[in-house]
Amino acid sequence: MTRQELDAALARLGLDVPERERDDIAAAAHFIAEMAARLRPPGGRDVSAEPAHVVRFPEG
Amino acid sequence: MVADYLTIAEAARLIETRELSPVELVDSRLDRIARLDDRLHSFIRVLADEARAAARAADAEIAAGKYRGPLHGIPIGLKDIYETAGVATTGHSKVMQDHVPKADAFSVAKLRQAGAVVMGKLATHEFAFGGPSFDLPWPPARNPWDTSRFTGGSSSGTGAAVAAGLVLGGTGSDTGGSIRGPAAYCGLAGIKPTYGLISRAGILPLGFSLDHAGPMAWTAEDCAILLQALAGHDPADPASAKVPIPDYRAALQSGAKGLRIGLIRHFYERDNEANAATRQAIDGAAKTLEGLGCSVRDITLSPLADWAACGVTIMLSEAYAIHEANLRRRFTDYGEIFRDRMALAGLITAADYVQALRRRRELVDELDRAMADLDLVMTAAAPSEAPPIDQVPKFTIMNPPSLTMPFNVTGSPAMSVCCGYTDAGLPLSFQIVGKRFQDATVLRLAHAYEQATPWRQNRPQL
Repeated sequence: MTRQELDAALARLGLDVPERERDDIAAAAHFIAEMAARLRPPGGRDVSAEPAHVVRFPEG
Repeated sequence: MVADYLTIAEAARLIETRELSPVELVDSRLDRIARLDDRLHSFIRVLADEARAAARAADAEIAAGKYRGPLHGIPIGLKDIYETAGVATTGHSKVMQDHVPKADAFSVAKLRQAGAVVMGKLATHEFAFGGPSFDLPWPPARNPWDTSRFTGGSSSGTGAAVAAGLVLGGTGSDTGGSIRGPAAYCGLAGIKPTYGLISRAGILPLGFSLDHAGPMAWTAEDCAILLQALAGHDPADPASAKVPIPDYRAALQSGAKGLRIGLIRHFYERDNEANAATRQAIDGAAKTLEGLGCSVRDITLSPLADWAACGVTIMLSEAYAIHEANLRRRFTDYGEIFRDRMALAGLITAADYVQALRRRRELVDELDRAMADLDLVMTAAAPSEAPPIDQVPKFTIMNPPSLTMPFNVTGSPAMSVCCGYTDAGLPLSFQIVGKRFQDATVLRLAHAYEQATPWRQNRPQL
């Protein structure tokens, strides 16, 4: 993510991030992109695959 | 003269037999806090007067024949995200430094009902997430084994205070490893119980669907004693489970013979490479467990990075939602580590979050299938001994992938257990993981391992 892209994203979020911290955040943004990619299986997911909001509990 | 180090079980036996009074025990811990905590910074707030009053009350009750059980008169500490009536609960943050709750958290009330004496509020990473930080109203806790080292986080103060013998046990919380990490680096036993077993009502949240409350202490037996008091249904926590609570301490007596254990070796040999000392210690633990009559075989799961991506995406998204309003209004009132991690969290999309929840269902099912013919799994709790406190990267939660996060994703009970020390005397650990609501089996194996090894005899030299 470029600094320009980050600045735009932070403005949209309404966060007043100090100037000296912005380069750190921009440099780490690839972690978010890599995690997002890992969440999506190659070829996609069955449309009916439901999310887990909490783990399943046993009966009783 | 009270010993510098006592387990809860040891102190409880002495108190029950009237060889030690809660007042003597609490006074000895207050003396120790006064002598040592200026180096450890494990406490944000010491509640000396309140603790002495509670100890006197315990003395009187016990003298009257009203002994409540093994926590009666035992000094404990509370991570400062557990709300306490009339006492500030800050999350170790400027943002909430004036927050004085009207009521105790459900879990705190249960500990008090069991007779535990609250000694004070313990340091944490900011809101159980950002740290170690040097720009908050209180300094970060230091590791009693070497004060230049990291305690792990976020239950940093609990890790330090228990390891140093300032309290005999305490509370932590664990959204991605915040009980097991400090337990590993500080040489403790720390269990993240099954999701829903302990109420989170009155505990400052980080990520609702991953947050677990739990105990930290010197031994598995002490964790069992604390868990007995903490576990139980609470209608005020929407995730609180209505399940029978077994006798955790009694379960310890069953031994380890016959338990079937899967070793997730690739997590720490390939996916987040542990150092040689850690690998050797875990190999040694596996051999010890086999010697106790367990079967241990390697199993393979999805890469650790998949589990971490799922858990971290959920954690960051939920944390951002919790803090969104304050982040907009008073961004720089948060410490730099917390706020910059939250700025990154703001980049996660709604679709990313939902994909993480869908992935979570797949991973929960994957672990269930892998454990179908197993009782437990084990792996590393940390890739090394505690690193220097000034060498912890700002974005360490994302890289390398966390060894503890997989079991927040699945809600499984998971415990850090000390399995040796480096040549420099720093603790090493491994992680035991059970099936959901089989916390007693996790404690049972941990206890059997501790009884078979000498590691619990070694304490920090302070």
